[in-house]
Amino acid sequence: MTNLHTLDAPAIRAGIAQGHFSALQVTEHFIARIQTCDARFNAFTDFYFDRARQEAQAIDGMVARGESLPPLAGVPYTVKNLFDVQGHITRAGAKITLADAPASRDAYLVARMRQAGAVLLGGVNMDEFAYGFTTENTHYGPARNPHDVTRISGGSSGGSGAAVAAHMSALSLGSDTNGSIRVPSSLCGIWGLKPTFGRLSRQGSYPFVHSIDHLGPFANSVTGLALSYDALQGLDALDVAQHARAVEPVTAALGQGVTGLRIGWLGGYFAQYATEPAHEALLAARQALGAQQEVQWPQAAMARAAAFVITASEGAQLHLTDLQNRAHEMEPLSVDRFLAGALQPAAWYVNAQRFRRQYRQQVQDLFKQWDVLLAPATPVCATPIGTEWIELGGQTFPCRAAIGLMTQPVSFAGCPVAVAPMWPASGHGLPMGVQIIAAPWREDLALRAAAVLAQSGMARIREVV
Amino acid sequence: MTEFLWSEADSLAYVTASARLLRLNLDEAQARRVAAHLSRTAHMAAALASVPLAGHDEPAEIYCPAPHCPQPESQP
Repeated sequence: MTNLHTLDAPAIRAGIAQGHFSALQVTEHFIARIQTCDARFNAFTDFYFDRARQEAQAIDGMVARGESLPPLAGVPYTVKNLFDVQGHITRAGAKITLADAPASRDAYLVARMRQAGAVLLGGVNMDEFAYGFTTENTHYGPARNPHDVTRISGGSSGGSGAAVAAHMSALSLGSDTNGSIRVPSSLCGIWGLKPTFGRLSRQGSYPFVHSIDHLGPFANSVTGLALSYDALQGLDALDVAQHARAVEPVTAALGQGVTGLRIGWLGGYFAQYATEPAHEALLAARQALGAQQEVQWPQAAMARAAAFVITASEGAQLHLTDLQNRAHEMEPLSVDRFLAGALQPAAWYVNAQRFRRQYRQQVQDLFKQWDVLLAPATPVCATPIGTEWIELGGQTFPCRAAIGLMTQPVSFAGCPVAVAPMWPASGHGLPMGVQIIAAPWREDLALRAAAVLAQSGMARIREVV
Repeated sequence: MTEFLWSEADSLAYVTASARLLRLNLDEAQARRVAAHLSRTAHMAAALASVPLAGHDEPAEIYCPAPHCPQPESQP
């Protein structure tokens, strides 16, 4: 019972179903761990322990009545604090949102998790309005990396990364516009999935960039990742951005392996900005998956530029009233970027969207020849909190923006990406994620490759005491 | 492609004028910081503007990564 917090979603569900422990025991164990550990990591901003106990007791009632259990029965999870949770204010990492009314109902994905039997423990830390890759949140403090608390946990879903890596929840939900699921997964050493743009409903989540926002899960195992992704799928008539036309479960196919799949790795731009741990992690993944050759991703630097411009314009427009009236109450680390975004000429934004149409076609063409492509998830391992500048490929970059160099071009094409947690020797104890990228709507292929990496033992979670 | 020339003074002048248009109240220090951010973006936008686009590369369609085709049932 002492190591309940290290179990993954299927093991927790199985233990409850077989009577080894109750859902309430699991919940109380995780609550105790959060109360003991979170002061070190600052992952949580909101605790929903009363709700968690009620949800756990509902599962125990099903066990007592001999009912079949839902797929995530009794599995503890957290949500980035931009998801609506009924009865609670949706912070979105900000202070100025605290005057907002509490959410009248759960976000669509939170409701899906409840239906699947999962137990919501709390809301977790993030960059204000999701504009960042580091979760150095001035209002609520930085989310600290469980593998070295002097370093960032990544962002903008940094609290999700820290909560799962520190075994304070088995699953978490986050958002990813330019890398905000993949970056914390990489820097905290956990599994993450950014599904295809338009796959999962965004209803009831606080938006950042309407035309690029994605939502998805984090997990402490690849099977947990697949189970939670399957639970989150559903066709939501109230979400205007959902493009999926069918629910396509992936868990049953997880063990099919990669034999026959055409697997490549990304060179060029992705190699240019990768540091030694990123190269080393990618090489290990390539070898484990039998990747065949280096591939050039089309116009990666231009895609990053276009994503940067669109993000700044859309994000700033969304918050223009606050920028006009309450800018001094906003996050000092991002408010100047929001202001600069508000001032961008329309010609830049429209050109970036026109480029996107051309780029989408080029990426789709690439996947006529490849099933899965690999790339580092971040150029570097977790940087010390407060780092302003980093050197990559002989150039100096603002650190807070450059952490997303590897992820931005990929999400801009809308492709699904699983992140596998690797542990290169040159990381000196810090993890480095590898992006497993598939064609739009082929999450199944990315997760099959992820499962092979897990079976190889190279991609795994490391215990944090 | 001609070299993109955009000075710190250009950026600051643009920020000051356009901030007034959008009713954004910036003091001098903040205007300089915003101008520095905008200058970096200006260089990205200039590079992006060099990509040839055809008339049919147009943004009217709501962004979709690819048409969705439900996958065939996986074989056991």
